[in-house]
Amino acid sequence: MNLLDLKLRARALFAPKRVERELDEELSFHIERETQKLIEQGVAPADARRQALARFGPVPLAADECRDQRGTAFIDNTIRDLSYALRTFARAPLASFTIVATVGLGLGIVTVVFSMLNIFLFRIDIVPDIHEMFVVERPRDANDEWPRFTRPQFEAMARETSVFAGMFAEMSDIDTRVDGRMMAITLVSGNAFQVMGVRPAMGRTLLPADDDRAAPQPVVVLSDRGWERRFGRDPKVLGRTIIVNGAPHEVVGVMPPGFRGLSVSAPDLWAPLSSLVEFRPIHRGREDRVGIGIIGRLKPGMAAGAARAQLDAWESQSAGAATDDRSARIVLVPKRGTVPQPLEALVVFSPLFFSFGLILMIGCANVANLLLARGMSRQREIGIRLSLGASRRRIIRQLLTESLLLALAAAAAGFVVSRIAIDGTLAALLPSIPPDIGNINIAAPPADWRVVMFLIVGAVISTASFGLMPALQATRIEPARTIRGELIKDARPGRARTFLIGLQVAASALLLICSAVFLRSAFASATVDPGMRTADTVIIEIVNEPKRAAMMEALSSDPAIVEMAATWPDLLGFPRGALVQTAEVKRTAAYKMVGPEYFGVLDIPIVRGRNFADHERAAPVAVISETMARTLFPSSDAVGQVLQIDADPNSPTRRDDEPSLPARAFTVVGISRDVAGFRITDMSDAGIFVPASTDTPRSSVIARVNGDPELARQRLLDRLTIIDPNMGQILTMRTMARMETYFLTIAFWVTLVLGALALALTVSGLFSVLSYLVEQRTKEIGVRMALGATSRNVTRLILSQTARPVAFGLLAGAGLALALATLLIALPAAGAIADIIKVTDPIAYAGSLLVIVAACLLAAAIPASRASRLDPVQTLRQE
Amino acid sequence: MPHATPDLLPGTADLLILRTLQTEALHGWAIAERIQQISEDVLQINQGSLYPALHRLEHQGWIEAEWAVSELGRRAKYYQLTPSGRRQLAVETRDWERMSHAIGRVMKLA
Repeated sequence: MNLLDLKLRARALFAPKRVERELDEELSFHIERETQKLIEQGVAPADARRQALARFGPVPLAADECRDQRGTAFIDNTIRDLSYALRTFARAPLASFTIVATVGLGLGIVTVVFSMLNIFLFRIDIVPDIHEMFVVERPRDANDEWPRFTRPQFEAMARETSVFAGMFAEMSDIDTRVDGRMMAITLVSGNAFQVMGVRPAMGRTLLPADDDRAAPQPVVVLSDRGWERRFGRDPKVLGRTIIVNGAPHEVVGVMPPGFRGLSVSAPDLWAPLSSLVEFRPIHRGREDRVGIGIIGRLKPGMAAGAARAQLDAWESQSAGAATDDRSARIVLVPKRGTVPQPLEALVVFSPLFFSFGLILMIGCANVANLLLARGMSRQREIGIRLSLGASRRRIIRQLLTESLLLALAAAAAGFVVSRIAIDGTLAALLPSIPPDIGNINIAAPPADWRVVMFLIVGAVISTASFGLMPALQATRIEPARTIRGELIKDARPGRARTFLIGLQVAASALLLICSAVFLRSAFASATVDPGMRTADTVIIEIVNEPKRAAMMEALSSDPAIVEMAATWPDLLGFPRGALVQTAEVKRTAAYKMVGPEYFGVLDIPIVRGRNFADHERAAPVAVISETMARTLFPSSDAVGQVLQIDADPNSPTRRDDEPSLPARAFTVVGISRDVAGFRITDMSDAGIFVPASTDTPRSSVIARVNGDPELARQRLLDRLTIIDPNMGQILTMRTMARMETYFLTIAFWVTLVLGALALALTVSGLFSVLSYLVEQRTKEIGVRMALGATSRNVTRLILSQTARPVAFGLLAGAGLALALATLLIALPAAGAIADIIKVTDPIAYAGSLLVIVAACLLAAAIPASRASRLDPVQTLRQE
Repeated sequence: MPHATPDLLPGTADLLILRTLQTEALHGWAIAERIQQISEDVLQINQGSLYPALHRLEHQGWIEAEWAVSELGRRAKYYQLTPSGRRQLAVETRDWERMSHAIGRVMKLA
């Protein structure tokens, strides 16, 4: 093929009319020229034309032969291949449907995971030249703390360094109640949108003038999501106001859909960084000490390495920089609107991918089994075509076309399956999320071009590896023998079949064991007693100190509240670490500050001594737990003893705004029953309680309520948001107590659905293979029966075909599950999980293996009974 | 596919066409006419199979076509050799000479 040829073919293909016209013109010119010549030789004009035509011969034939030279054969062949493939599918519709459905199902399920992964890893934000955007970070220090930059440092860096064409500061993930509804807010310096180079869909972006520290403008810019959530896409939203902390803020712009402000999911709105105190009243007076993120756009041509070196040099010179540890250096992390640690995210996702991928694998194994069985009839057909003179290349092309068509159909099916699975899961999941664990905003991950690519590539790989390979092998056969019905040795796929069934059973076993383990753990978790009252208690966060007095007044007068107590840290927070010293022992322990009502609200009995008295809210007295009493006073009665508490300055739970202890030395007045606590938080750690009152700054409230805690929660929210529209969360303890069971139940359902799918695919595969084998061995079985085999012998013969692969699969699956479990327990991070999830629960293992054995027996029973009912006389006569 | 009349040796039609186009661009009729004239009416290309042959050579990239005004005053399709057509002509000429030389020897000596 050469360039000229290509040009001509393209013309023939895309301008067929013109090419035809030219051909016509060329041939008619010839006739005319010949006529002219004859006339010049003295022939009469009327005769001349006739003679010229006669000399030329039939014009349409010549024209046809010219057309044959055009070489649009490629297209014609493709059309022929396609129609042949469609005829093949039509001849075996069930087989084609099975391939498309099984590969589509498996692929759809894997695509669900990919759609999520896509959001975190591959969905780059829509910002011009996003590869120039970087976050400036300090690395974690020795205490694993992350020293962040402050606003003055940002301003100094902007003045004194020159690596960035522009840089802005941001403070993201500020969850604040806006008009009574939790919204995610990102505060940015005024130049942020200019540095990102993005335009609004409506109105304007924030401008440097809005971010005036002396007089911040009360303006916000909505994201597409925020526009939808708060204003229902009202086209006249510009100029409307939202109320944050009692102050109105005007909506000046709306950003286009898809723009996420360089984060994984877009905030609801952006506001000037100078309005920090409006959104986070906690930070009043310490605006310059709050940590912020610094994001810059590198100057054109500036390499990240060189920029990092310059910033590093600046940081070591700048006054006030902690120069104690110069091994710590500035890091520049690309900011693309994806997860910054793609590898970590991949590790998190890999078990999901693996377990979802198992379904695809089982489906593909089914397809391979099916094709191995069909391979025989296929071989014959290919043999005939080869002996009729088809070239091997031509046949391979035909097979390729066929599997590509199947792949595309499977990709389409996979797309539908993935959308249904995602929407179905969300529809099932969202209503089950307890309303009090926050405004969880899960939108179905949209299918973009990456998801479509993933589907197509996945479909092509799966159909090619499982569909094309067996077919290719078939082209290597000798036509003469196959037509006679002799098959080549490779085509006796007994072994491959056994292996595939074993593999399927193993995968099903693994998934079902997981599901059983989760189910059993969920049951166990539901019966765990946290040791405190959870049925009708709620936790109320207080985030705005100036409003504390008003909030407490409202709470104490509310008829919904039976009794309430102050706690610090709140019930779900980590207790504060301290150095504790008694006459006998000196050690670290954790303490909590609680009001005298704490033990009553939570039904924690005081087993010895007494509770704090009402007037002791700031007295040097303490209540300790039974275990702590034994630890601190191993040889004497704890009540009446003195212990000394020093808040540990190096404790990882240190906070810079914590309330101070009323004293150093505390007299133990009582001993409380140990509290098991929730296993998903560490609250059982606190063993020392010192008094507090609801005025104690930073303290939260734990309250017992009347009636349904969820109704009470709603009521309190309604009432308290009037006082403080930005107030924090109210959580029911019932939700907290159920949380562990809840996650286990979700894990159970996910693995159960996957396991059931896996088992269904395995069983259907097993059934079709056995049916096929029985059919194939009809003659042999007939002979056996004629020779005196009983129907029981025949049944056993068929069942024995299943027993080996199933047994192999069960062993492999259980072994794999055990191996994974041991691996999991060995992980340091999994220590806490191991308590909750009994990864080696023998009942779960035995139960799921039994289910599989029963299902496989059922699948084998029908072909086996059909075989045992064969009439030997009839079978033999068929031959 | 027949490319030439039975009275031409198979394969020689291509050679003749290419040779005819060696010096100038010609339209189909002129090619047939030229071959007939020069061979003193001995060689006659079947006019009907001339055009399929021309189109095939065009697809092979040995000749290219251009529309130009002819001696009749109407548009005609003129063919001319491409560089790769010249190379092909050289190859075919050499082959032909070897072949005719061989046949000549056989005719003389056998």
